[in-house]
Amino acid sequence: MGFLPNIGPAEFLSQLLVGFSRAMILFTVCAGLSFVLGVLRVPNIAHGSLYMIGAFVTFSLSKSFGGSSGFWFALLLAPLVVAGISLVAERGLFRHLYQREHLMLLLFTFALALILGDLVKIFWGAEYRSVPAPDILKGSISILGASFPRYNLFLIFIGLLVAVALWLFVNRTKIGKISRAAAVDRDMVALLGINVSRVFAGAFVIGCCLAGLGGALVAPTVSITLGMDHTLIIEAFLIVTIGGLGNMWGALVGSLIFGVTQSLGVLIFPQFAIVFPFAAVVIVLLLRPKGLLKSVW
Amino acid sequence: MKPIVMRNTLTIFAGLLALFLIFYPGSAPAQAPIKVGIIDTYTGPPTTYTYDVRDAFKLAIDEINAKGGVLGRKIEFTTRDDKFKVDLALSTAKELVMNEKVDILMGTINSAGALAVSEFCKTEKIPFLVTFSKSDKITGEKGHRYVFSVTENTAMIGKAAAVGLAKRPFVKYWITGDDYEYGHALADGVWGHLKKIKPNVELVGQSWWKVGEPELTPYLTAISSAKPDAVIFATGGASMVNVMKAAKATGFAERIPIYIHTATELSTLAPLGLEAPEKVIGTSNYQFYYPDSPKNKAFAKAFREAYKREPKVGALYGYITAQFIVQSLAKAGKMDREKFIDALEKMKVDTPVGEVEMRAFDHQAMLPMFMGVTKKVPEYPFLIASDIITIPAKEVMPSIEEIKKVRGQ
Repeated sequence: MGFLPNIGPAEFLSQLLVGFSRAMILFTVCAGLSFVLGVLRVPNIAHGSLYMIGAFVTFSLSKSFGGSSGFWFALLLAPLVVAGISLVAERGLFRHLYQREHLMLLLFTFALALILGDLVKIFWGAEYRSVPAPDILKGSISILGASFPRYNLFLIFIGLLVAVALWLFVNRTKIGKISRAAAVDRDMVALLGINVSRVFAGAFVIGCCLAGLGGALVAPTVSITLGMDHTLIIEAFLIVTIGGLGNMWGALVGSLIFGVTQSLGVLIFPQFAIVFPFAAVVIVLLLRPKGLLKSVW
Repeated sequence: MKPIVMRNTLTIFAGLLALFLIFYPGSAPAQAPIKVGIIDTYTGPPTTYTYDVRDAFKLAIDEINAKGGVLGRKIEFTTRDDKFKVDLALSTAKELVMNEKVDILMGTINSAGALAVSEFCKTEKIPFLVTFSKSDKITGEKGHRYVFSVTENTAMIGKAAAVGLAKRPFVKYWITGDDYEYGHALADGVWGHLKKIKPNVELVGQSWWKVGEPELTPYLTAISSAKPDAVIFATGGASMVNVMKAAKATGFAERIPIYIHTATELSTLAPLGLEAPEKVIGTSNYQFYYPDSPKNKAFAKAFREAYKREPKVGALYGYITAQFIVQSLAKAGKMDREKFIDALEKMKVDTPVGEVEMRAFDHQAMLPMFMGVTKKVPEYPFLIASDIITIPAKEVMPSIEEIKKVRGQ
């Protein structure tokens, strides 16, 4: 059944936009992962767990605020809750481990991911959870005759906003500049009399906060359940690898490649749709083993 | 003189404990209880289904024990978590039989686990009642004297769906779903039977996503562009909620009729609340509000009072299992495994969905299937199934010829 659907410009465009919207959630999470990788050199496997916690917190908050506006409060507060958790984790655990080798850090963050997963199970149980999208973003709009979910348009908008905010943060704020400097040479920054420990804590919290934001953004489109962390963290590491480790714009490029190859792959070869994003990863790594953009590692 | 006081207290405690140990079992009836071992997944997302099996089983057993048990003996059960792992299911089955000395085994939601335990029970001659695994191999190709299934399987789902869908005017179908054993088995089951009943149906295409795929919107928009008359979703578990959400957000369910097994089941509809799409065609073995019979009402009420939630499909399986075990024991006259199996074959029990018979040939419980369409109603904070049609068990069951064929007889 080598069937190809009739692909008109409307279908193509709407499929492309769906790909962009998925890419924006991936970018939000991967930018955080990449930032932590770049500044702290920590391959944080627990990043996926923080994304999952973000989604579960969004569920609880939007339920307790209630109504259509509940989601908006949750969208603002859930990343802050995740940031709080990550601050505790950084001050309590991570900061004692920065000098260890990468394998140790990998094992440590993996253990943390398992612990956080179990804590989520204790807090929220194992049932599937669902968050309603706010009324204004429900349903779909018509783009050249093809229907497109409003919420996905909102995701594209937020994704662009996150990208701009990150650019301003890294390039226009002092802590952003120090973070960039610390990523390149942390001893040099310390020699300048800057409290590197505090910079690291700040960078870690910001990175994790983005994971929480990703979780909050994805909440209305999926079932919130245990295991959503594993699915995401694998894709996230692939994306930061093809983008260039520690390079935030690499995360953006990687996310776009991942999201768009997936959505267009489904349209063109539905039977083999799963393969496309991973095939793209393989091709990129064959051509540029260190990633598309400059890796800070 | 503190140490002596402590020593005295200890002596008294030890004495009390010894007295308790000596007299407590002696004061109970001389007959030891009949032991049932339950192996199931009690960690992770499958608990949405397995807790109901266990809880309804407990409810039924408590009631029977309160009346004095069966054959003058109480029924006792022990649960073990297999964590959805095949090796763990098998090792806990062994442990329950060797150490706990259970007389009967039941459980498992993982088909591979069920098949492994089933093989073990075949060699050890232990009766095993499968409560949630959906592989049709359990009572089909791999069936034997010691294994029974009290749940639907992919062959039955396929037949029921085909019977129901054939009544509708759709010709051009698209099939899509989770790219794993259950998804493909379900799709093959539905499509094979549908093609037989209604030969003019046409498969215009298919797409498969990886299990756990969070973003299904691209799949739905791609399917829309092929403009099929109806779409069969071969999916289960957490993907159910994702599919339903994406179908709602894209307006897909409004434009194209979709069929999903368990779309009308409470396990799917409860977490979605009012966010579930209407007009989705689904099938299920059980609804707490249908059939509207006194038996079902009483069952749902008792479950609700005991556990403060509505019973889902797993509750039906748990209840039926308890009835099958107890009534077969009564008929067998004593706890003898071979006699128990002879009694369980052809056993008929009264259940919330009417009388259910255990088919003697393949040990598959003959369950009816209910096909309905999702609908919002004012009474509940979630959607329910409306326009329910009952597909009787005899139309759902694979024929004995089919079973013989897969068993190579």
